[in-house]
Amino acid sequence: MSDLRTPIGVLFAILGGLLVSVPGNHAPLTDAPVNLYVGLAMLGFGGVMLGLAMRKSA
Amino acid sequence: MSLGGIDYGILLLYFAFVLGIGALVRRRIHSSEDFLTSHRSVPVWITSLAFIAANLGAQEVMGMCASGAKYGLMTAHFYWVGAVPAMVFIGVFMMPFYYGSRARSVPEYLKLRFDEKTRALNAATFAVMTVFSSGISMYALGKLFQLMLGWTFTESVLLSAAIVLVYTFLGGLTSAIYNEVLQFFLIVLGFSPLSILAVHKAGGWQGLASRLPAVMTHTWRYLGDSASNPMGVEVFGMVAGLGFVLSFGYWCTDFLVVQRAMAADSMSAARRTPLIAAFPKMVMPFIVIVPGIAAMALSQMGLGYALPQKDGGLDYDQALTTLMVQFYPSGMLGVGLTALMASFMSGMAGNVTAFNTVFTYDLYQSHVRRGAPDRHYLLVGKVTTVCGVALSIATAYLAQRYNNIMDVLQLVFSFVNAPLFATFLLGMFWKRTTGHAAFTGLLAGTTAAAVTHGLTVAEGKGGWITAVHHFPSTMAQNFWMAIFAWSVCFVVTMSVSLATRPKQEEELRGLVYGLTDAPSQHGESWYRRPAPLAAIVIVAALILNAILW
Repeated sequence: MSDLRTPIGVLFAILGGLLVSVPGNHAPLTDAPVNLYVGLAMLGFGGVMLGLAMRKSA
Repeated sequence: MSLGGIDYGILLLYFAFVLGIGALVRRRIHSSEDFLTSHRSVPVWITSLAFIAANLGAQEVMGMCASGAKYGLMTAHFYWVGAVPAMVFIGVFMMPFYYGSRARSVPEYLKLRFDEKTRALNAATFAVMTVFSSGISMYALGKLFQLMLGWTFTESVLLSAAIVLVYTFLGGLTSAIYNEVLQFFLIVLGFSPLSILAVHKAGGWQGLASRLPAVMTHTWRYLGDSASNPMGVEVFGMVAGLGFVLSFGYWCTDFLVVQRAMAADSMSAARRTPLIAAFPKMVMPFIVIVPGIAAMALSQMGLGYALPQKDGGLDYDQALTTLMVQFYPSGMLGVGLTALMASFMSGMAGNVTAFNTVFTYDLYQSHVRRGAPDRHYLLVGKVTTVCGVALSIATAYLAQRYNNIMDVLQLVFSFVNAPLFATFLLGMFWKRTTGHAAFTGLLAGTTAAAVTHGLTVAEGKGGWITAVHHFPSTMAQNFWMAIFAWSVCFVVTMSVSLATRPKQEEELRGLVYGLTDAPSQHGESWYRRPAPLAAIVIVAALILNAILW
């Protein structure tokens, strides 16, 4: 495996995408769209990891 | 707790990735050193995150959250006092000997520095500890998933054991380390939102502090007297017991964590590994301890949230999982549970990979079959991996039958790790220390710990000889037991060294301070040198302690 950042980036991009796809779910003690916020953060993190991996391989 | 389809999907996705990493790494495994030591080829950012992830088992995550709820912010001492200084010490002072000696394990360093019997003693106790530690981690996971998901104990244990076995069997240490990094990010991203949401709900830090006794939101202010804080510990016990003996004993000599740094691709990277790891380690209290403190504040706000009862008191161990249920909707709940599963598997894999290396090199190759072809040791390493997992499963079932096996394990850790640090300190920094002295000192230190436990009582534990002293908590008892064990080992090792013949200086080159050339840092940027990095880590730790005094 050439770069660990690639599978990490892919995993968090998929996780982020999954969470963003169910933004309406709510938990008992909060009204915040937790899935949306964390999903976006994971998408961003996954993107950064993939970007770093691609920059290295370029 | 009921999970939705998306939660199960996230759990399955995670399993697919950890197994996939194992399968990809498998191509790089050609020799026993590839399998057991990663052939010293892993980049520093990976070894650094693996260095703390191997210690970030679920007992750590759930236990620290529980301690946060029980003891408050004082629990952060396990990080800022009980980890960071030791991580700086090993990076700056000890790693040149571990890495420079070309030893493949901590017991092998003891062989090079002292003799075979000291190595065998350390290897045997370490092998037993890792199997028990891994098994108890598995037991905790089985109980948790039984309670939360309704899976049977056997299903939970076998599933997690099978996944860890597959990826460690395929890719050895490299696979375990790579997965630990993945697990680290999952733990951080899976639990950080919980901390933010819980503190926000409690009214921010100020609102949280206003709802709790002041002792819950300070680190040092109530340590002047053991009666003033819920830990029952005073400054000396905290600094000498936790901050020096126990902390240095674990972070500087336990092969489970040292192995990660020794897998780095250069001496410079090996030295920077614990120093870089110290930065995320400093932040971990905000992710795992603060939610526990917030849980106590939330339980007083009339929101319908409360910690469950157990044996007439609060069941602090459920702080993390009850908060997840209250703050995580379906989706994020799957991420949180996967993070919990990841922390169990990371702790388990760390123990299994350390066990197979020590067994193969320090017990089998040294005492059973020397000089065999390398492929034989590769096979032994793989078979040992399977046996390690099988023994861990057996230990998990053993733990199910005995309600005090975890206490026993904690005691064994105190008995073994505390004197070991005295042995290393003298061995690395005093060339006069001899093999006979190291061996005798280790046995004497361990005996001193046992005697201290037999003569003191805390929370009904100990005093099996006679009770001459009562400690306010088992934590205080553990700290003082470690102090006595270390002191006795130190004194006995020095005394016996003076009465026995040391090795020739030529034999000690590369193993002892003063007889070893300082590692070259020529051409290294300042931020890649250990000393400046260590200075930044120390200043950051001091600032954190001062802010939350």
